[in-house]
Amino acid sequence: MLTADLARSRTDENSITPLLIDTDEQQYRETAAELIQIFEEHLGESRGELEDTIDQLTVSDTDYKIVQGLAKLLKDECEFETVAPVDPRKIRQELFEVANRNHPIVRQPTLGEDTQSVWIYSTVADRLGISLEECYRGMYADLEENKRLVRFGHRVSDKYEGADESSTTTRLTGDSEESYAEDTITVDWLLTRYNLALAQAELYDATEMRIRVWDSFATVFSYVKLFGLMHRIYPIDSDGNRVPSTDVADGYEAILDGAASLFSKSRKYGIRMANFLPALPLCDRWEMEADILDDESGSAGRTLSFELDSSSGLSSHYSAQGEFDSDVERTLAQKWERMNTDWKLVREDDVLDLGAEVMLPDFAIEHPDGRRVVFEIVGFWTPEYLDKKLAKIRDADRDNLIVAVSERLDCSSDDFEGMDDRVLWFKSGIHVYDVVELAEEYAVDGRAPDHRH
Amino acid sequence: MRLAFDDGTLLLEDAPDTVPYAEWDDRVEEYRARAQHYRDICDWLADPDEQATLTQSTATIAEFEDDARAYSEFHFTPSVAIEPRDYQQEALSAWQDNDRQGSVVLPTGSGKTFLAVQAIADAGVSTLVVVPTIDLMNQWHATLTNAFSEQLPDGVGVLGGGSHNITNITVTTYDSAYRYINEYGDKFGLLVVDEVHHLPAPTYQQIPEMTISPYRLGLTATYERADGKHKTLKELLGTVVYREEVDELAGEYLSEYETIHLGVELTGDEREQYDEEYGIYRDYVDSHDFDLWKENGYAEFLKRTSYDPQGRRALIAKQRAETIARTAEKKLDTLDTLLKRHYDDRTIIFTANNEFAYDISQEFVVPCITHQTETDERTEILERFRTGEYSMLATSQVLDEGIDVPAANVGIILSGSASKRQYAQRLGRILRPTDDRQPARLYEIIAEDTMETYVSEQRRQGVTSDANS
Repeated sequence: MLTADLARSRTDENSITPLLIDTDEQQYRETAAELIQIFEEHLGESRGELEDTIDQLTVSDTDYKIVQGLAKLLKDECEFETVAPVDPRKIRQELFEVANRNHPIVRQPTLGEDTQSVWIYSTVADRLGISLEECYRGMYADLEENKRLVRFGHRVSDKYEGADESSTTTRLTGDSEESYAEDTITVDWLLTRYNLALAQAELYDATEMRIRVWDSFATVFSYVKLFGLMHRIYPIDSDGNRVPSTDVADGYEAILDGAASLFSKSRKYGIRMANFLPALPLCDRWEMEADILDDESGSAGRTLSFELDSSSGLSSHYSAQGEFDSDVERTLAQKWERMNTDWKLVREDDVLDLGAEVMLPDFAIEHPDGRRVVFEIVGFWTPEYLDKKLAKIRDADRDNLIVAVSERLDCSSDDFEGMDDRVLWFKSGIHVYDVVELAEEYAVDGRAPDHRH
Repeated sequence: MRLAFDDGTLLLEDAPDTVPYAEWDDRVEEYRARAQHYRDICDWLADPDEQATLTQSTATIAEFEDDARAYSEFHFTPSVAIEPRDYQQEALSAWQDNDRQGSVVLPTGSGKTFLAVQAIADAGVSTLVVVPTIDLMNQWHATLTNAFSEQLPDGVGVLGGGSHNITNITVTTYDSAYRYINEYGDKFGLLVVDEVHHLPAPTYQQIPEMTISPYRLGLTATYERADGKHKTLKELLGTVVYREEVDELAGEYLSEYETIHLGVELTGDEREQYDEEYGIYRDYVDSHDFDLWKENGYAEFLKRTSYDPQGRRALIAKQRAETIARTAEKKLDTLDTLLKRHYDDRTIIFTANNEFAYDISQEFVVPCITHQTETDERTEILERFRTGEYSMLATSQVLDEGIDVPAANVGIILSGSASKRQYAQRLGRILRPTDDRQPARLYEIIAEDTMETYVSEQRRQGVTSDANS
């Protein structure tokens, strides 16, 4: 993401608009291409050299803030590492010790007892079994600007191929290799990410966000939860007006903020809202309105309105509620049709608002006699997400909830604490009769208790 | 009723409607209060009608479950056996008498950190120390390590500057504290805020708000803010419990020093390059009517450099010129001479930027501390300087606030910024009394006929006028 100083926006009387760029504009495409090339050419070089090259770059016609913003996003795709034969701190300690016994160390010796620094370096180099140059360069090889660019996007510096990968972290939405395994950093990729990042940067000072979505509820609320936002949810019709019940809802409105927002407008959750924003373009239709604290107006607590919707042309790099999920769901639905059972599998598109948690079951399984059970499939996701999901399932504490969990998940049945018997483990696909069996056991009469709001 | 710490707030589960300081949260259908009211709510629970002490609270209400508090109690004894000065002892007592809450106002260099060490030992609970800068965080870390590390199995924790290590005594910056306080606000019973006059800001004031710490200590030399916002500190940390003005301490703990200014010429090549780059910058500025010596004039210029390619070029030119002046070849020759003269002394070399500090470190093989130096290595280098294992030190840091930097008797300023405050404090560092040595000596090496000359001039005026005020 961008740092706050790299945000670009226009402020009117009551609103703020990020200055998105036209990704087809030739000047931006050239700037982006030039930057990508600089990064590629600096593979194996020091961070300092890379940054100097970017700093000295003067691109006519392109606002330098855009250049810096693009460079920041590219830097997020980089990995820098210390490259030295001996721990630099060890080299330094040895050097200072030897030096301290031999002061004064000077550039132009005049007296017999003056020492020249090269003598110190070669003494320590010999002691450590490294070359004089390695000793001199290694001394501060661990400084940020001396670290080497070993990876840029999917490209790894030849010299360090096969270096250990322990530093790579897997995050659901981060800039880890994982998310971009198949991505090549291209001009289009960069400019698209830049516009999204500009919109995110406006949210750093946001105090409250209101969203309306008409599809992909499960995905959207997974991300609300993932980023620790609190919510109030209201069912809405296709025009966005609130309606009394989820039965007649076409979509949902949610007001998002955080725990302390109860007491005062807080920008503490702005960063979470910024992190959440890329979940919205995963919907076909969405609207977003945020209140942005305006420090410059002088009047304390005044906010500006920031609005975006599906027509703004933003696109997301987050994953939608796993494609794996939808595959499994589709197959299950197809198999169900061929089976001979009174139980019916119906799409459940309800958002069950359980106060602090949201439940988004995939299906309901209904019997003509009125019995009903809610069915949630836990698909493949990262361990962090899974943790939250399992906790959510435990917290739900509802009798008529059954769960199918992929064995491909890295979790054991122990995680379900007393709900094991209503969990169906599966490998590649779910068997209809297994589900029916569970439904017979756990279904209750009528609809689930009313949703709390 | 159950008390839980939730994302920087207190969730009051199954609380009666009479619970004070709380608001109804319809999102979760429970009462919720700011974390800072933890102590008040405990007091209320202990005795809903009367004020009671903290320690009685949990015992008195039977059906009350406190899952909010996640900090521990200790018996800390600072391992440095220094007698507190009278005013430090008085300040500590005043703070104790105010239920271990409130701020202490003491002048720069009067041992605020030492006071904090006493307060931590006195409170005997897990402590979070919040400071404005990474420099200060490092200094506090060194001091607290000195005082307590033997009693802390995991050492003194650091949150910020790339470190994320929380222990029973942890130091952090305002920025990191603001970012993480909702996660760790339940882990500390004492909150110490250094330079507390920076705290009243919409962001930073959430640090005390999201902390349950029943004990709080603010420290500063300049409590009052021009905008009057220091008034909010009372609500956040407690009132001012002790105040000692500069005058009352002057002369007692400050010492004399002499300053020597050394000018160096640029070499022919440097002069040529300097004039060219400076010319590009000057031409641009002159043709655009900025009043650069005014604050907003320079801001105006910077703003322009972001969209005007020529302005961008002018900024680069200015930076190049500054670099030439800062790293002038002959400065190193002069430094050479000084090091020959003073190699037997304890010398600190100040530079205004990291790059030059590292250059000098490599050129003269002297240990160097910048804001990039990791906290534990910094602590180690200072310790070795203190013990005499190292007799020289290069630093680009503003060694603020008279904390832990061992006394040196020679200071060499190779370049500096025009900030008055910074300069005065750098002097203060060297001025500290050092045994029976002769008066401390400060050298300032400046490139002649460059922007530095102006800066140095301005700086000296700043110090003079400070001294007169």
